[in-house]
Amino acid sequence: MKKAIFFFTTLCLSVMSCTKEKTDYEAEINTVVTEHYEFKEAAAINNDGYDISIEALNGTFYKGYNEIRLKISGDHTNEDVSAVTFLPVMTGADGGRTSCPHRYALVYNADAEHFPGYAVFTSESSANETWELYISFTINNQIHSVKQTITVQEQPNKNLNMTTFTGKDGEQYFIALVAPQKPKVAENELVAGIYKFNKPATPPSGSFPDPSQFSYTEVSNYTLQLDPRMPEPSMGNHSSINNKDLTRQSDGLYHGVVNYTMTGNWTLNFIMLNQNGKILKGTEVPTDFTPGVEGVKSELYIDILF
Amino acid sequence: MKKLHIIFPVLFLGMNVNAQNTQVQGDTAKILEEVKVIALARKKIQTEMKMAVSIDEFLASSDNIGFIKRGAYAWEPLLNNMSTERSTITIDGMHVFGACTDKMDPITSYVESNNLSTIDIKSGQEGSLHGATVAGSIDLKRKTTPFTPGKKYSGAYQTGFEFNNNQFFNLGNLSYSSDKFVADGSISFRKAGNYYDGNNEEVNHSQYNKFNTSVGLAYKTSPFSAVRVDAIFDKAKNVGFPALPMDLWLSRALITSASYKQLFQHGLIRVWDTKVYYNAVEHYMDDTKRPENLVHMDMPGWSTTYGLVSRANLKHGDYSAEIQLNAYNNLSIAEMRMYPQDRSKRTMFAYSWPWVTTKFTSLAMNNSWDISENSRVNFGGSLGYNYNRSKYVEFNWIFHPGTPQEKSRILPGLHASYELQVKQFSFSAGSGYGHRAPSVSEGYGYYIYNSFDRYDYIGNPDLKNEISYEANASAGFKNEKTGIEAKVNYFYIQNYIIGRILSLGSPMNYQSVGVKGYTSLNHARIFNIALNARYNILQHLHWKGTITYARATDDKDGNLPFIRPLSYQTSLHFMYKKFGIQTSLNGDLTQSHYSPEYGEDQTPAYMILNISANYSFNIKNCKTVLQVGAENLLNEYYSTYADWGNIPRMGRNIFTSLKFSF
Repeated sequence: MKKAIFFFTTLCLSVMSCTKEKTDYEAEINTVVTEHYEFKEAAAINNDGYDISIEALNGTFYKGYNEIRLKISGDHTNEDVSAVTFLPVMTGADGGRTSCPHRYALVYNADAEHFPGYAVFTSESSANETWELYISFTINNQIHSVKQTITVQEQPNKNLNMTTFTGKDGEQYFIALVAPQKPKVAENELVAGIYKFNKPATPPSGSFPDPSQFSYTEVSNYTLQLDPRMPEPSMGNHSSINNKDLTRQSDGLYHGVVNYTMTGNWTLNFIMLNQNGKILKGTEVPTDFTPGVEGVKSELYIDILF
Repeated sequence: MKKLHIIFPVLFLGMNVNAQNTQVQGDTAKILEEVKVIALARKKIQTEMKMAVSIDEFLASSDNIGFIKRGAYAWEPLLNNMSTERSTITIDGMHVFGACTDKMDPITSYVESNNLSTIDIKSGQEGSLHGATVAGSIDLKRKTTPFTPGKKYSGAYQTGFEFNNNQFFNLGNLSYSSDKFVADGSISFRKAGNYYDGNNEEVNHSQYNKFNTSVGLAYKTSPFSAVRVDAIFDKAKNVGFPALPMDLWLSRALITSASYKQLFQHGLIRVWDTKVYYNAVEHYMDDTKRPENLVHMDMPGWSTTYGLVSRANLKHGDYSAEIQLNAYNNLSIAEMRMYPQDRSKRTMFAYSWPWVTTKFTSLAMNNSWDISENSRVNFGGSLGYNYNRSKYVEFNWIFHPGTPQEKSRILPGLHASYELQVKQFSFSAGSGYGHRAPSVSEGYGYYIYNSFDRYDYIGNPDLKNEISYEANASAGFKNEKTGIEAKVNYFYIQNYIIGRILSLGSPMNYQSVGVKGYTSLNHARIFNIALNARYNILQHLHWKGTITYARATDDKDGNLPFIRPLSYQTSLHFMYKKFGIQTSLNGDLTQSHYSPEYGEDQTPAYMILNISANYSFNIKNCKTVLQVGAENLLNEYYSTYADWGNIPRMGRNIFTSLKFSF
């Protein structure tokens, strides 16, 4: 009987190890998606005895949407500080200067103890493209202006991509994904910023930079129609249900709902409508199930990956 | 799985301790055999035609069982023309759940004919003893050798070859019994190539390989009590499923149990048998051998169940009863990972069973009271509690936003019947009422591809319980020469669960044409009738015949899928001394009540002729039987109403087998 028991136990032990490991679903998404929660100092400037600190997620400026927190420390109270402006400027190889969607005038948030703002960097820093921040503020009626070169890095998170395009109205638009940083196979709240470049009406004047040359607005009352699809040929133009188009909410951003039915590559196909319901950019995509054929994308889309 | 490692050494320790105790001698074996409170219709695992049958072939010989066939292997049994979700399939009362979302591994595929003694089929609510059911229960009974006064060895070895698909099999079993200790062991190998259909064309991807082994050890702890441990290990590798876009790379099951049985000589309770069990099933698919596939997809599945079954048999005068407590916990996980053609690109992943836990407890009782010498009343009921939890409920939220992560259900069941014997005539009438909970796939499945109708199926956690109202009756006549019996049953099923096309959503599996969601029909009706007759023409020449018919409709009087058309079987059996010869003819008529809505097309009629001969002789003390026969002798090209994708069945198959037993 002992032999039998030995045999039996050995059998149990030997066969109980699984052949294929189960997928650690949560860990798997983490390896593909970098997610940052923490604001760290990304740039620091010392000027006239004031320390100006600009914080961004992970202490890094990335291409795409960046929420920033500006802090000015010195022997003053923050209530004394007024007229804080923030302007990112990119100098190209030819010396031409452009900016990107940003919040120009920053207003102090007493609860959070910083000046909140954002910048949607449209390119990464390179030998030919240099990004600088122009900041000015007034304390005790004295205007202080500073500038600082910064480095804009490639956005490693494919869920925070952005796109730039010219609408049918001839205006230049920017759409940048803000959330979710880490999507799930689930219903996700999709948040994006939509910005328009305000073409300057007058030539530059005064000392550089003239903010009227670098003005952007958060467009309001637009609608961003959404049709998410998996572009892989094997997925045959697979889509999901219960998605909601993006509309502008009180935070100035556009909120909608996207459902991802599985992990992998997804294309967010958009159609952008203005306040009058007129299509400014984007085309309807086929809804047929076409196995073996790569999914057709709208002329306005952003790819994501998780 | 760690749990198992802990449980078993403990059990063995317990046994060793008991082994050192000296107990009063007594013949438990005899008592074990005598206490059969409620008689069960026991059959040997062999059909009249063929002595070396697979479990599937054996089940197919039963009136109320049909099969969905996806190939040559692992047929899904349909009881009363209802799929496996509606029946409880157990092994010695133990619940085991397949790990394949495509139902490529029904429980019957994890056992082998040489480790089973009988299969106990109960129709409708009578089967609620093992758990909530609508269609009934199929309990696969393990082979157990009784204790014997002296030391005794017995065994059998069976080998055979089938020419159509080059199936070669070896089945062996050995048992040792003594006054205090019994050991049973079995081992089997089956290997088959592709089979050929009636047009002599090879059906690709229909091969299989199966290995199965089992051990059982019993020890008598006292004259009236015994402990027993059992284990079955089954491994199938490289199994083709011609009707599916993928094959099975590997499936393994380990089914273990430990039980304690106590007999009582006096009092109301006669037997009390308690068992704890654990089983783990893993199932991995393989589509790399199908060049037509655009995307490589492996769909591993795991199903782990542990549970308890405790039953007591009661008897007092004309009254006898069985009480059974069932409890189990199952975790079903199935993954779907797609590898794009450009392998450098990211794979895509989803759960088709998002870690679904099912906990079930039920208390059931069957009573039988002999009112008079020729009449009896059977009645019983069960009360079950079913709990489901989906760990990654966000998958379920895609189609059912905000549905709760956990769901509890109460599943009651009741049944009663009356049997009457008037001279050579017997009659019975009964009725039943019962609930069942949706299965894991019906409740929580996510894009489960069904290659029959080519739809992706989505589960619905909010489905209502399926409620069955059932009536059944039988009438028979029997004398020495003739026997005839008619059985009918009728099910009116409220909230009948079935897949309905969803206008929203697009398929995920590239072969599919759309998405179906499991929904409840208001009701469905299923009617089954079977007519059996036998006649002994001569002393050694016997005739048997069976006709079955079923009709099933949904709430709009449309046809339900997978309902067997009128089918018949007639057989002649002739014995002369050590020779036996059998011939049978069976077939279905044209399937006129098919359901295009659920992906069916009309299946034409077919008729199959089978013949076999056997010769028995003794070599020393060894009983030997040699059998030669042919199935589908006329090489008919056919497929049945339930053949997935109209895959043709096997053409002419000549089989041989040789069995030694001692």
